[in-house]
Amino acid sequence: MKAIEINNLIIKLNGREVLKNINLSLNEGQFIGIVGPNGGGKTTLLRAILGLMKPTSGGIRIFGRPPEEVLKTGCMFGYLPQILKVKPDFPIRVIDVVMMGRYGRVGILRWPGEKDRKKAIEYLSMMGVEELRNVPFGQLSGGQQQRASIARALAGEPKILVLDEPNTGIDVIGQGDFYHLLKGLQKRFGITILMASHDIGTITAYVDEIACLNYTFHYQGNPLGALNENVLTELYGKNVDLLLHTDICDKCERLRRV
Amino acid sequence: MQKALFVGIMVSLISGLISVFVVLRKMSFIGAGISHAAFGGVAIGFFTGINPTITAIIYTIAVALGIELVSRKGKISEDVSIGIFFASSMALGIVLVSLSRGYTVDLFGYLFGNILAITKEEVLLSLFVAIFVIGLIMLFLKEIFLTSYNEEIARVSGISVRAINILFLIVLSVSIVISIKIVGIILVSALLVIPGATAQLFAKNVYFMIVASCGFAVFSTILGLLLSYEFDIAPGGSIVLTATVLFLIALFLKKRQ
Repeated sequence: MKAIEINNLIIKLNGREVLKNINLSLNEGQFIGIVGPNGGGKTTLLRAILGLMKPTSGGIRIFGRPPEEVLKTGCMFGYLPQILKVKPDFPIRVIDVVMMGRYGRVGILRWPGEKDRKKAIEYLSMMGVEELRNVPFGQLSGGQQQRASIARALAGEPKILVLDEPNTGIDVIGQGDFYHLLKGLQKRFGITILMASHDIGTITAYVDEIACLNYTFHYQGNPLGALNENVLTELYGKNVDLLLHTDICDKCERLRRV
Repeated sequence: MQKALFVGIMVSLISGLISVFVVLRKMSFIGAGISHAAFGGVAIGFFTGINPTITAIIYTIAVALGIELVSRKGKISEDVSIGIFFASSMALGIVLVSLSRGYTVDLFGYLFGNILAITKEEVLLSLFVAIFVIGLIMLFLKEIFLTSYNEEIARVSGISVRAINILFLIVLSVSIVISIKIVGIILVSALLVIPGATAQLFAKNVYFMIVASCGFAVFSTILGLLLSYEFDIAPGGSIVLTATVLFLIALFLKKRQ
């Protein structure tokens, strides 16, 4: 059974078509990057997959079930929304944020227990922010907040991880580590990963598959195939300059930092 | 005085707890709107001869759910719908009161609080409502908390955010009506905001914020009632002013940190 299956999806918002003719077939354990310009529908597509938004027409199936049904279980997805609209004075520590990722597993009318706490700390340390666990979340830097939020998304041990622009707040070097981490999780737990990003450069090195989205899919398949002037022009519009990162560039950056 | 203190403490425990979420969910305007709308509910009680507390509870729940429905459908923004419900409920109340002359003494009590006229039934009622409100909030604490943090993450965790929002509005409405006896309709929204706002200044996690908020509310009520008794001043105003001073002190201490 496919992890995610989308057929002829169309989504209209306020009468305007935002997504058209979306077809996608994703196996369990795959890591797919959805790239494209802002406003091209990436967030909308992710939200439709999560069950947060109803399709205007077409079907979505998550392991054979419709998203609304999957949503009720609370255990399928780990979600990192694009901008976390959290007020900085919200009374929550890092450990509390990650514990919230366990609520789907704990269920209604029950309290999180020792096992949940252990899992929360496990994922906090996996993301490298364990020492910050009693610090108020609002006091963390952007990158630290992202890592804690990812720990939250993972803490519920979801089958599918959905990340919407997770790179905001993480510098270029950090991004490399971040992708390594995701690949590690993919191998270790077999989770399916869906990541939306407007950063087409770095992502192509790590994903199994890439889909270029701007209202519809302009390309789907092998990541390297996306780094092609025709595809990119269709995706982002005219006047696209292709700058290639190579191994040399990466090493220079690291040397300069040391 | 004993009855007033007991009901006052019950009311402050309820308001303290609810206030945490009113502040976190940025619902102080809705709180004020529902409180004033309660006037319409109370007036319906006067007009029909039914117990005003009962009519007020039913009416405020209806208004709260009405606000939720109207703003969810999206055609009218939430603050506009609150403003409309609030003002028209008060207008309804004023009209009904003018049609049922002879209740002006009771009316004053509902608007400004009437701690001297608390009955045994009301003492028991305040106890039951406290158990009901505190029980429900504690039962669904993690759901309410996560929904207040981020509604989408809450939905993805399997929570029915709409049900939680409706539950909270119902609990809020009931809490407001029960608090009217102590501080009156005009000031009840203060109890929904000030304790929580004071607690938020120092709280690092939600449990602490709840305890602090209830603590501030109870303290303000007891001190306020004692001051009103000692100096023969309006109890509702006395309680709210005490709470305000407490908030200002806390703010001052926080700025110095």
